[in-house]
Amino acid sequence: MAVDPGSMLTFVRFLFAFTIGSHILLVSTSIALVFLIFISEFVSIRKHDQAYDALARRLSKVFVISFGVGTASGIVMAVELVGLFPSFMTLVASTGAMALLYAEVSAFFLEVLALVLYVYYWNTFRRRYSHWAVSVFVVIGTLASAVFITMVNAWMNTPNGFDTSAFIGSGFKTVTGVEPFAAFLTVSTVTQIFHVLVTTLFAGTMVIGAYFAYWFVRSGDAGEKAMYSRALKILGAMAIVTIVLSGISGSEEMGSLLVNQPLKYAALDGNTVPGTNLPDRFFGSVVNGTYVGGISVPGMQALLAKFETGTTTLPGLSQFPANTWPPLLVSTTFNVMTVGGLALGLFLFAFFVSFVRKRRPYESRRLLYTWIPAAVLATLVYQLGWATDEVGRQPWIVYNVMTVAQAANTSDALLVPGIVIVLFYLAVIPVTFYFYSRVFQGVRREAPA
Amino acid sequence: MNGIFEVNYAAFSMFAALLITEIMGAVGLLIAWPSRSKVLDYIVPIWEVTGTFGAFWVVTGDFAYPGLLVPVSAIFTPLLIFFLILWVARGASIAFAEFITKRGWLDEERLFTSYAVSTLVLGLVVLVLLSALVGGQGVSLASGSFSIISWATAGSVAFVIGTLLLAVGLAPVFFDLQALHSLVIPLSGIGVILSVLSYWLMSPGLLTLWMAVPVLLTLAVGALYVWRRTSKIVTNKAAFLAVLSVIIFSLQPLVYPKAVGQALAIDAVTTTGAMSNAFFSITLVGGLLLALMLSFYVVVATRGPSGPDL
Repeated sequence: MAVDPGSMLTFVRFLFAFTIGSHILLVSTSIALVFLIFISEFVSIRKHDQAYDALARRLSKVFVISFGVGTASGIVMAVELVGLFPSFMTLVASTGAMALLYAEVSAFFLEVLALVLYVYYWNTFRRRYSHWAVSVFVVIGTLASAVFITMVNAWMNTPNGFDTSAFIGSGFKTVTGVEPFAAFLTVSTVTQIFHVLVTTLFAGTMVIGAYFAYWFVRSGDAGEKAMYSRALKILGAMAIVTIVLSGISGSEEMGSLLVNQPLKYAALDGNTVPGTNLPDRFFGSVVNGTYVGGISVPGMQALLAKFETGTTTLPGLSQFPANTWPPLLVSTTFNVMTVGGLALGLFLFAFFVSFVRKRRPYESRRLLYTWIPAAVLATLVYQLGWATDEVGRQPWIVYNVMTVAQAANTSDALLVPGIVIVLFYLAVIPVTFYFYSRVFQGVRREAPA
Repeated sequence: MNGIFEVNYAAFSMFAALLITEIMGAVGLLIAWPSRSKVLDYIVPIWEVTGTFGAFWVVTGDFAYPGLLVPVSAIFTPLLIFFLILWVARGASIAFAEFITKRGWLDEERLFTSYAVSTLVLGLVVLVLLSALVGGQGVSLASGSFSIISWATAGSVAFVIGTLLLAVGLAPVFFDLQALHSLVIPLSGIGVILSVLSYWLMSPGLLTLWMAVPVLLTLAVGALYVWRRTSKIVTNKAAFLAVLSVIIFSLQPLVYPKAVGQALAIDAVTTTGAMSNAFFSITLVGGLLLALMLSFYVVVATRGPSGPDL
């Protein structure tokens, strides 16, 4: 049965969105895990605290699973990109974006070799600080991997390092004027790395925190509870710092969009026409070129993006041809993300106040029960953040250079393998999280702290 | 000489050497579960490194041959997707197996068996892919398709069986399984003969005098193991991996200067200009970092009292 190219294009979009959406669940928890291990072991050495030591040891086993499944899934995505978007990958392979992917492999080597030494040779190090120092390399390797892949995404948003006009003029056949290392620093690279790293760390922190919150409330074992509360103490601090940084970096990101991707900015904020002193709008929609419904907060847009009001002219959709507009649903995903982020900020503010008042929020049943739905919200907000970024760039895969339709492989031979991949991920992700828990709890039974 | 090809092929040689030793381990786990500790002492710390070398090979390949991405994706998509599923299954099984405690039906043995089966089938898929890249059987560059029925020629099948026999034949050497030492010479000998025959069947032009290097090295490994006085040399895992990498590296005339049954000239599809310079620059920096980390790894691993903490 033949499937028409239009439907296959939709399927290809869905397949990659589904794969990357699943993959980033693993990535965010991995990054949070590595920070938690790094901090726990350091504190265990400083305070001679066995509970922190047990926490670091047990989590390091979980991190091996996270790394193993995460890197395998990363390779799936790398190969999937070639299969689903061959023209895009041919462009990537001919420009500096490829140099970024190659640099990422070096970061992988750093991460994997440091991880193997950290986990499997724990007792070989005579000095505890020497062992802890190895975790620094794991952190650097993990962060460097995330940085390089984010750089590729920044390059897709604001491509540079080759002659775009000549490339389009040649019908996507000839890439000239290549400057491979320019891709390491596009106009959006710094702001995007800042925002992606802190939000990824935040989302993972909340998910792992929910696990410990659940077990703290449920467990009757005093030793286990002591360890969970220590984990929550660290995770609470990490969540508070990263939510603040997420807000700051989000504002920076909007400032960057204003200059570098004004159409995406206009779509996100629902600006139908350009203007100064425009209101921030929530949960309305664009109908016949006019924004209707929802809530408006006067003058807020420029304040949030540029820390001023009434000076900057903000872009509007009317400045751009309608066939280049992204789906305006991004305005809603952006709103849910923003409001969800604010709600999470309020929750963590309560956590912070409780901490300042020495109420031990990491042992408060009420706050810990709230943490669990907050983690679900954090995951939703994080996923919507990526959806907003990617859908907001549509119809382009490489902004103003190549559309998704031009890049995609719409062969119906992809249909069956694609469905198999979806089914496979539907099984792998929950099984992986199940094993995180089972291994963490299993280590306790085998070797009590 | 094509430096970019050499770097990419060197990455492949290291990846293939690691993967072959994992396949050897997988065979060991399946047929000799009671003596698993010898296999697991090696595989458990190394399987993640194998994956990273795999990524290294794939990324250097993408970098080296940008023009091949479209045809490769068209020709091998179903095979690659099958490979990917096995790849995740392999990684997930062993990561779960390492730290699992028995509860219900799922235990360490079942998960390691799942790892071993995934790795073996993965090895088969890789061998099918490699034989197609060498001999071109089943590959139609013109229509951008791959047919497993057309692939199944005597040459391709001999390639797969020969390589598998070599892996099984040399497994006792790598894991120093004295009980199986009598299998080493017969199996690796037949493996060498079948492999050489497969090259000839795929394309007689592939058999040059240069092929004597991998053949002699392979036979030497088996012979050194069987002779007790020298067996320690080849049972050293680092030495074995180094020799295996050299053997695979010396097989490069199978795909260079022409691959896919002499239909694809490698030099014509290799990246040039500024991208070529960037390739070498990053290889240099990344290579130095890798060498430093590997040296550190060797120092720590050899200092340990009795292998990794499992």
